[in-house]
Amino acid sequence: MLTEQSAYTNRWRWVSPTAKGILTCSGIVAAFAASSPRASLLVAALLMATAIFGAGIPATRYLRVGAPALLFLGASCLSLLVTLKFTHGGGTLTMQSNPAELSHIARMCGRSCACLTALLLLTLTTPLSDIISLLRSCKVPDTLLDLMTLCYRTLFVLSAAIHETITAQSARLGHSTLALSLRSMGGLVANLTIQVWQRSQALHIAALARNNDGALRFLEHPFAHSRRHITMASGAGVTLILLAVLIP
Amino acid sequence: MNDAIIRLEEVSYRYPDGTSALNNCTLGIHRNRRTAVLGANGAGKTTMFLHLNGIVQPTSGRLFWGNTPLDYSRAGLRKLRSKVGMVFQNPDSQLFSASVREDISFGPMNLGLDISTVRQRVDKALQAVAMAELADKPVHNLSYGQKKRVCIAGVLAMEPEIIVLDEPMAGLDAAMQLELTAVLEKLHGGGITIVIATHDLDFAYGWADQTLVMESGRVLAHGTPDDILLRPEVGETLGATPQVAEIIHSLSLIGIDLRGNGYLPRTKDELVKAITAFAGREDTP
Repeated sequence: MLTEQSAYTNRWRWVSPTAKGILTCSGIVAAFAASSPRASLLVAALLMATAIFGAGIPATRYLRVGAPALLFLGASCLSLLVTLKFTHGGGTLTMQSNPAELSHIARMCGRSCACLTALLLLTLTTPLSDIISLLRSCKVPDTLLDLMTLCYRTLFVLSAAIHETITAQSARLGHSTLALSLRSMGGLVANLTIQVWQRSQALHIAALARNNDGALRFLEHPFAHSRRHITMASGAGVTLILLAVLIP
Repeated sequence: MNDAIIRLEEVSYRYPDGTSALNNCTLGIHRNRRTAVLGANGAGKTTMFLHLNGIVQPTSGRLFWGNTPLDYSRAGLRKLRSKVGMVFQNPDSQLFSASVREDISFGPMNLGLDISTVRQRVDKALQAVAMAELADKPVHNLSYGQKKRVCIAGVLAMEPEIIVLDEPMAGLDAAMQLELTAVLEKLHGGGITIVIATHDLDFAYGWADQTLVMESGRVLAHGTPDDILLRPEVGETLGATPQVAEIIHSLSLIGIDLRGNGYLPRTKDELVKAITAFAGREDTP
């Protein structure tokens, strides 16, 4: 929901998704082209600053959205850096680290951070419907895009259904103890399974009623100054890649 | 019946689970009329609507567009669905895209229109349902009533001759119902034939030109609201009669005969006007 909220309310809402896509791709290329971990982290910092100061995403919201991915990255890097070893003879658990691997892990961590910030720049500034339009213009298969469209829409419908069901269960003491809570969760899952099936049937009928017999097609939003935005994003992207390559 | 724009002739329909939804149902929808379809739950209203849009085909009987039997080929259904637009009861079952503008464009895009025409139709439909200001809002941030209006706009953008709405007032508060009624009036004024399934007798009595009462998959009665909704057998089936009609009847029992004016009020406003006129007449020496 935080991502969704940012995508619709940021300063770059009406900047061409193609331009934002170019900047994101450039960020990913820069992450892999970076000659050192320092360069990757600089790319990440620049992309983060672009999202916060350029697109006007509040820093706290940015960090909250990025936190789960950063935590996952931190845990992964730690597991690469430190190895736990159990010696059978002495029956002791020892912790070993390989300093030779440190530079390798730092490089991977830097690249991952840069890629993460590049993707956050796109997702926090662009609603998914615009990203789907962008992917359509990139010739991504229709089936995949239809699934994305339906899943995205259904996500909100089902989240409302889940909320209503849990409220109704709570009103009848369905979550008053752990055992009851587990039972209610089972009921919720069973109910949702049927709802998903019923809703898919209803959507199919609604699509037929509106003359659909193939891919889901929608009108794409025209973005003003699209060419100018694309030129600026391309320039910024090339600069980012050059910085990543040239900084030692 | 033969001057109907679309008609069902002895149509029966049985769902795959064996439920019989329509039983020799014969009815006609007339051009430029406001038709209200009434009936208890399970009377066959929604199934009848699905037939009008070609979503389901009759098990027996036939449907006609004018005097031509419906063509259920791919091209025939395409033509039918461009003429008959359907608005479902639950907006969340109809809205595909998370963007209002995109969702409204879904039907016109399916018609294969060029982008500038689609854009023009979407803007026109947004204006018609007074949703232009919310065009770029995500659908999940809209109220229930606003979602219903987006659904109507989505059908309107296909420029159909008939719009069929399945219980459009369900779940709406009084203010939203008034707003939706105003939208429907505007559409009817623009020459669109409107068919509505409703449980709201007072709304049907005040709004419709033609009423169809369904029971057990067939038409129990059809005609003008004055003719149909005051019949005892219809009242028994529907479990009530329109409040305005009940008040007129009660007043007639105490000697206030509003029918005497040659004008039968059908809405509360009309009733107040008629009573005021009656009182004025009584006061005149």
